[in-house]
Amino acid sequence: MKIMITIITLLFMLSLPAGAFAETLEDRVKTLEETLKKQEQTIEELRVLQETLKRQDQTIFEQRKLIEELKAEVKQVEPSVSAESSAANKSIETGQIQQQVQELKEQVGQVVEAQRKVLPSEFNPSIGLVGETIFSYRSKGSAQTGSDRPGGFDAFQRSVELNAAASVDPFAKAYVVANATADAHTGESTFNIEEAAIQTESLPWNLTVKAGRFFGEFGRLAYIHDHELPFVNRPLVLAQYIGGESRTDGVQVNWLLPIEHYVSLTVGAGNQFGGDAPPNNVGDFRQLGGWNYWGRLSTYFDLTPDISFEPGVSGLWNPKTLDRGGPLAQPDGSTLAERERRLVGADFALSWKPLRNNQFQSLTWGTEVLHSNNRYDVNSADSTMFNRSVGSLGLYSYLTYKFHRQWSAGFLYGFVEDAQDNKAKTYEYSPYITWALSHWDQLRLQYTYTNHNTASGLSPDHAVYVQWAWIIGSHSHGWQQR
Amino acid sequence: MKLKLLCLYSIILLIGVFCIGLMPAHAGKIRVVATLTDLADFASAVGGDLVEVHSLATGVEDTHGVPMKPSFVPIMNRADLMILVGMDCEHAFLPALLEASKNPRIQTGRSGYVDCSQGIIPREVPKTTGHSAGDVHPYGNPHYMLDPVSAKLAIENIYNALVAFAPQDKAQFKRNRDAYFTKLNAKISEWEKEMKPLKGVKFVSYHEHWPYFAARFGIEYFGTIELRPGIDPTARHIEELVASMKAQHVPIVVREPQFPERVPKRIAEQTGATMITLPIMPGGVPDTETYIKMMDYIVHTMVTAVQSKK
Repeated sequence: MKIMITIITLLFMLSLPAGAFAETLEDRVKTLEETLKKQEQTIEELRVLQETLKRQDQTIFEQRKLIEELKAEVKQVEPSVSAESSAANKSIETGQIQQQVQELKEQVGQVVEAQRKVLPSEFNPSIGLVGETIFSYRSKGSAQTGSDRPGGFDAFQRSVELNAAASVDPFAKAYVVANATADAHTGESTFNIEEAAIQTESLPWNLTVKAGRFFGEFGRLAYIHDHELPFVNRPLVLAQYIGGESRTDGVQVNWLLPIEHYVSLTVGAGNQFGGDAPPNNVGDFRQLGGWNYWGRLSTYFDLTPDISFEPGVSGLWNPKTLDRGGPLAQPDGSTLAERERRLVGADFALSWKPLRNNQFQSLTWGTEVLHSNNRYDVNSADSTMFNRSVGSLGLYSYLTYKFHRQWSAGFLYGFVEDAQDNKAKTYEYSPYITWALSHWDQLRLQYTYTNHNTASGLSPDHAVYVQWAWIIGSHSHGWQQR
Repeated sequence: MKLKLLCLYSIILLIGVFCIGLMPAHAGKIRVVATLTDLADFASAVGGDLVEVHSLATGVEDTHGVPMKPSFVPIMNRADLMILVGMDCEHAFLPALLEASKNPRIQTGRSGYVDCSQGIIPREVPKTTGHSAGDVHPYGNPHYMLDPVSAKLAIENIYNALVAFAPQDKAQFKRNRDAYFTKLNAKISEWEKEMKPLKGVKFVSYHEHWPYFAARFGIEYFGTIELRPGIDPTARHIEELVASMKAQHVPIVVREPQFPERVPKRIAEQTGATMITLPIMPGGVPDTETYIKMMDYIVHTMVTAVQSKK
């Protein structure tokens, strides 16, 4: 019994501390867990601190390196520095470094400036404006010369030409030329669209397509704007057979032959051909024959590095002109009605442009011969009606010698048989001198003697012209200006 | 009858031209067209046997006066790469030729259009591009090729273009480029050493071709004979230039060979300066067919002229 009580007591006594121990252990586990947590936190903080220290170490290292480099640079600039002058030398070195930094800043600034020039105008087309004034004196009135300008003293704003061009997309570009020319009688200017066309840029097989309103490629000078001609006025034969500039509304395809030698072939079709030419009398339905069809084949030869020869042939056909220009009264009392228009031409340019100083010296000889063979219905004076073709010949030839960057002089000879009456002939002789103050500012003085044979019924005329042409805004050297 | 003759003439012309101009078989080389002779020299150096290089200029032309010859058109039509100085240097002839070439690969911005001015820090960027300032280049003076260190950037651009076109030949282009750089770097050190005694020497030239050259070699570009870029000098401008040259003791008048001799010679005589004729691209004067030979000639002529005045 006693043993039992002793054992129970002992067990009781043992369990008490065990209980107490159990409590302490739990607490201790909790405490340990908390301590562990804290220690983990501390470890994390120490890790972050370690990384910070690493970064700071790196920064210190880099700064030390930079200091060493600067020291080396300074030493290089002034290798021998005495103790007494070291302070002064340091300020000189600083000054040089500052100067270099300033120069770098200026250069970077210039680059930024150049960028600023481009970015604001990024979406603008290239825009330019051409102005051209002709002052003239003609010895005969317009009734005697057949000109649309009056005789005597005249001032004529022939061109106020606004042009704009830009890319349409990766495949095409477009341009427009709007010109206001003063009317001969009223003096008022009307803005006309001379050209507005789209041109492809990436067709295969060396093809280019142009569509819209443009100057069709015919001959040498027909598709050159008036102010870009080598002389004041368009040669007589072009004025009469083409009708001024070769303006048309239509489509034109150019093919660069895929051979080593330059050969260019152009074909086109469109309404009307010739800005000043009378339109076809279409009526209410235009047949395909009512269109104009034209073509040009040209090539080029380098005879020597300084001398080149560029020939070409051209043709124009309008199968059904349908009384173009209305009834055409003739001096013999008959009346013509044009039924078909046919024109062929051959041209060449022979140029000497020495490579070394072609901006100061060159000689160009250009010639074009045209044959017009239009078909007319004739209502003769005695009311007889018949059909006839009138074959007429015309040509011009000019020689321009450039003897200074600013100065050139030349001579133009022209001859034309009237397209409706080849017995009426007109001749022109025009010496001219040009002073190009710059690319964009040009004065030209020209004398023209125009003579007619008796059949034309017109009188000879002496004329003096002063032409002043200028350009503002965008200016590009087009292919025609070669 | 006349029409038949004309048609016959056209047919004969066409047949004749076809016979002359039939294209030979493609040799498998990269067809490179360069606007100017220095770029052609670099393209040949980097491309080696793998390229067929054609230069539009022969070296004697004004860089702004290279003619727009139709005979360039078929060459450009077949080109794989079109290499140009850039910064509008070629504005007088290249845009029209590019259009006439009908080659979409080499049009502006395409992969075959290699503008060597990429990375060049421009000098003399004009504050105005109005015509009152003359025929200025809106992106800065484009004549950086006369600085051989800037020319190295152009070579790098040519190298990058060749590698982009023919990556399989990169190793050879790299070898060629590195070999040329080694040669050029040695010459640059030589030129810098030769030109060192000329530091601060003033000179004038006909056209503003020389600011990069002057900056590289530490000589002072005093002014130009032209009134403005592309504008011939007036009598008053010449008078003022002579007076200021005398006051500042400018010893050298540089005449580029594409400009007439008369005015620079007269200015040199009136100021007591020495007139020297310096090319602006390889081939501009005899025995300067490569870029290095051209720079040798320029440096040597300038040094000799200055030393003869001392």
